Amino acid sequence: MITAWRIFKNSWKHIGRNLWIGLATVFVFMTALVSVNVLLGANVMTTRVISLLEQRIDVTVTFQPQTPEAVLNQARFYLLSLPQTASVSLVTADEALTQFRERNKGNTKVLEALNELDANPLGGQLILKAKRSEDYAFLLSAVQNPQYAPFIKSSSYDDHKDAIAKIQIFGRNVRLVGAVLVALFALFGLLTAFNAIRVAIYTHREEIAIMRLVGASSMFIRGPFVLEGIWLAFLSIAATVGLVFGSIQIIEPHLLTLFDGNDPGLIAFFYNQGLSIFSIQAAAIIFLSALVSWIAAGRYIRK
Amino acid sequence: MIVLENVSKIYGKNSVGLEGVSLRIEAGEFVSIVGQSGAGKTTLAKILMAEEQPSSGKIKIGDWDITRIRSREIPQLRRQMGVIFQDYKLLPKKTVYENVSFALEVAGDSPRHIREVVPQVLKIVGLEEKARRFPEQLSGGEQQRVVIARSLVHRPKILLADEPTGNLDTLNTRDIMDLLVKINAFGTTVVLVTHNREVVNALQRRVIMLRDGRVESDQAHGKYTLSI
Repeated sequence: MITAWRIFKNSWKHIGRNLWIGLATVFVFMTALVSVNVLLGANVMTTRVISLLEQRIDVTVTFQPQTPEAVLNQARFYLLSLPQTASVSLVTADEALTQFRERNKGNTKVLEALNELDANPLGGQLILKAKRSEDYAFLLSAVQNPQYAPFIKSSSYDDHKDAIAKIQIFGRNVRLVGAVLVALFALFGLLTAFNAIRVAIYTHREEIAIMRLVGASSMFIRGPFVLEGIWLAFLSIAATVGLVFGSIQIIEPHLLTLFDGNDPGLIAFFYNQGLSIFSIQAAAIIFLSALVSWIAAGRYIRK
Repeated sequence: MIVLENVSKIYGKNSVGLEGVSLRIEAGEFVSIVGQSGAGKTTLAKILMAEEQPSSGKIKIGDWDITRIRSREIPQLRRQMGVIFQDYKLLPKKTVYENVSFALEVAGDSPRHIREVVPQVLKIVGLEEKARRFPEQLSGGEQQRVVIARSLVHRPKILLADEPTGNLDTLNTRDIMDLLVKINAFGTTVVLVTHNREVVNALQRRVIMLRDGRVESDQAHGKYTLSI
């Protein structure tokens, strides 16, 4: 018990008397952690951009002019029942006509031609949004079933097919590259932190040898170094959390214009996922710090 | 009592540290181990403090056979044996008081015992006023006295001094030697490893001379004379 207390006390004394080495180590840890979080943030924003682009995609299914409204409603409810569907809006034939008139109100020739007709030439429309861009093909094939196919005049899917496919590929690539970059930065960060601890302990190599010469056990020598590594890791994770949350509060309002008024998702991401993200980072850096301190200090414990 | 039976330390094909060294040091003796550079003095000191293991032979300290001492037993041996080094080997980030108390802390002594003993030993070596200083704020002689204080806190039966005056001027050398003689007078066995002739000759105690890793002479009241 008394030995444990001495190891604990010595670890803090050690930090106090080697303040600059400690601060340098915290700085290196923070650089590693912040770079990972910056990349995570960048990844979130890129994903958000893709998602906003995907949200702008919709497919309009246009029905024959005389299609009964009951069929349109039935088709709408059918599509809404599918898990791939995000939303379906119904534009009745009358609403479609009103919208058409509104769009062409300056074009007298078109309006006159329209007035010549006895009946409404436009059919109702279903404006369809899928949860994921790759689901459009499925939803289109679903609505083309024999019950509704005879009433369907056209769909805008074919016009947007290439654009949708490009957005899909771009989104997939961005997510993949983002994930790889985060993993790489995490690895580089860990390696940098690993080296920082090794260097910090290297500066104490003679001290470690002396401790052994005056009869200190391995545990008594390693203990304070391991605890010191843990305290420094705690300090760096706390400082990183403060820095990240402080920064996103300042940065996000400035990003709103870039996102056309939409939420860039940074604050939401770090508030919703922050606990798990920083817990994982803390666990990794603390474990690494303790392990490397144990191994590095052991290297200098000679007989 | 320290007993070495036919101890050899071979480092490589053409590098012999010690060769067939046998000697017996009784409890309470003051023994100087002398010899020129490369004679094997430091090897012998390292073997006695278990920093190195002999290639062959047997070493006993009291009833403890340390010939093949286990790594985890080494701290126990070091706590029973005071060791003084030429380069002091003080912990630079600890104060004089902490350097001395550290030797007791590693042994698990109670804080109360530490508070009692450390000021006593610092008083013996005349450093009670400088307890809060760091090693770099002390002179060479003072640093060596801290080392002696540190080696004394366990009340060791054996004090091994490896060139303790090597970095000191004449005045400080005399102070340190006086301290070692005083410690020996209290019953502690002192093994002094040195190449300082004046120090050895002034002592008029037992002198073991090493040459090329072998015991060349062992005199009860010897002198360190240069022989070719």
